[in-house]
Amino acid sequence: MRGILLLTRTEINRLRRNKRYFMFTLALPVVLYLIAAKQGSKAYGVDFAAYYMVAMASFGAFSGALNGNVIRISEERKVGWIRQLRLTPLPANAYVVAKLLTSLATTIPSVVIVFLLGATYGGVHLPAWQWIVIALIVWLGSMIFAALAVAIGYRFAPDQAQPITILIYFVFTILGGVWFPLGGFLQKIGKGTPTFEAIKISTDVIGGLSVPYGLVIGLVLWLALFLGLATLSVRSMAESV
Amino acid sequence: MSHSGTGPVVSFENVSKHYGSLKAVDGLSLELRPGETVALLGPNGAGKSTSLDMLLALRKPTAGRIRMFGNDPYHAVKGGHVGAMLQSGGLMPEVTVRELVTLVAGLHPRPVPVETTMRRAGIESVADQRVDKLSGGQTQRVRFALAIAGECELIVLDEPTSAMDVETRQRFWASMKEEVAEGRTLLFATHYLEEADQAADRILVINRGRLLADGSPEDIKKRAGAKRMSFRLANANEPFLLALPGVVSLETRHDLVQIQTSDSDATLYGVLDAGYRPSEIEVGSLSLEQAFIAITAEDDRAGEAESATAGQSVR
Repeated sequence: MRGILLLTRTEINRLRRNKRYFMFTLALPVVLYLIAAKQGSKAYGVDFAAYYMVAMASFGAFSGALNGNVIRISEERKVGWIRQLRLTPLPANAYVVAKLLTSLATTIPSVVIVFLLGATYGGVHLPAWQWIVIALIVWLGSMIFAALAVAIGYRFAPDQAQPITILIYFVFTILGGVWFPLGGFLQKIGKGTPTFEAIKISTDVIGGLSVPYGLVIGLVLWLALFLGLATLSVRSMAESV
Repeated sequence: MSHSGTGPVVSFENVSKHYGSLKAVDGLSLELRPGETVALLGPNGAGKSTSLDMLLALRKPTAGRIRMFGNDPYHAVKGGHVGAMLQSGGLMPEVTVRELVTLVAGLHPRPVPVETTMRRAGIESVADQRVDKLSGGQTQRVRFALAIAGECELIVLDEPTSAMDVETRQRFWASMKEEVAEGRTLLFATHYLEEADQAADRILVINRGRLLADGSPEDIKKRAGAKRMSFRLANANEPFLLALPGVVSLETRHDLVQIQTSDSDATLYGVLDAGYRPSEIEVGSLSLEQAFIAITAEDDRAGEAESATAGQSVR
């Protein structure tokens, strides 16, 4: 466990030098929020600024967990870093566990920053428990994408992993209602995506609706699916890292 | 050192690794004893890397059993008993050399002070540089530093000096000798033959996944035919020449005969006793390189004939 934490700490330190992380995970959601938060009145039954706060927090957290991790994992397998780590006393699965922990840790700033912006610039006022619940949903939702990143990054070389990731990224952001709220036909297609589920659970919490169990179960199923795929990737590549 | 017994450090018992129909390693058996410096010598594709991968628990043998310190390889590696540097091993990007060495030392149950490791590997001057900005030789030294970042009993190196220039290579072996002098066992794979000759006190020659020869550098040379002999002889009779005492291999071109022999005197007397009078007789010593080529070439011929019994192709 000590080894996993040590690796996680090094990974976090490393990310502080990564410009992509700052641009896509931290800066982009803030910029988009400043541009669009006041462009609507209501979405999903809550103030648009509140919806867009949840959407942008999810955007930063999810895209950080997916894009950054896929590229890093895929490249680290290619250059042989995963192999090198397996020659150390660190247990075999520690690399993946550390990636997931790092993802959880580095998602926190993007959620906090967007929520602070929502509370000030967006004028979103919520009871404390609601802030905590929606933060937890977005935060744990990012774990789904970190698991997906492991599944893709561990199996595919960087040149293949990149287009696969971009495709999934666009499908989940657009059909998930991350950039704009879904309605009608698009919502019918998109309501099964993890991004939509995470955002809708949060807006339902904000709107004071009863807990949408179907969406919660959906999120858990996505997490189980991607963790399963990640495990398959790691197992099947065990001799070719 | 926790390993104080006299049992083997490493044992391969009839180990094979097959990829489909390709036999990368084919019934390999060997033992390493404590304190030995052993070179694993073979041409590309001989099965060196696959053998080391299996030893380090990166791959599972198709058949056979590998033990390290009397344990299975995975537990030996996770117990910090082995420091390893593989050709295919890479470095974490975006961190400095010092951060990386500190990380790997910290993963070890018995870490060596980071400054000591960096001094031994000769990387103090690049300690604060980012690992993805280093030259090939510097990268190789950082990988070596990671292999010795913890106190271990066995060091495994796969082609350790492949990216180094001559001077760096000498420095590398000098620091390696320090490590070994502390009682460690060292196993390294190489196709630099003079390197095996100079650095190892035991050489394992492998080809096509099998162990062909096992002995001191002198033994290996003797085994392959320690002398090279050439002369001119018209109408040379190949079967006759091959049957001469000491002959290991033979090559003829027109009237030029080249022989590798373990006993040049006996071979020459045999030629003369049969009534031949060869001209331009030359006798010279074989370098380890030539010995190695002789051993593997012999084995390849045996393999092509498909009549060879495994492991018996060297006389």
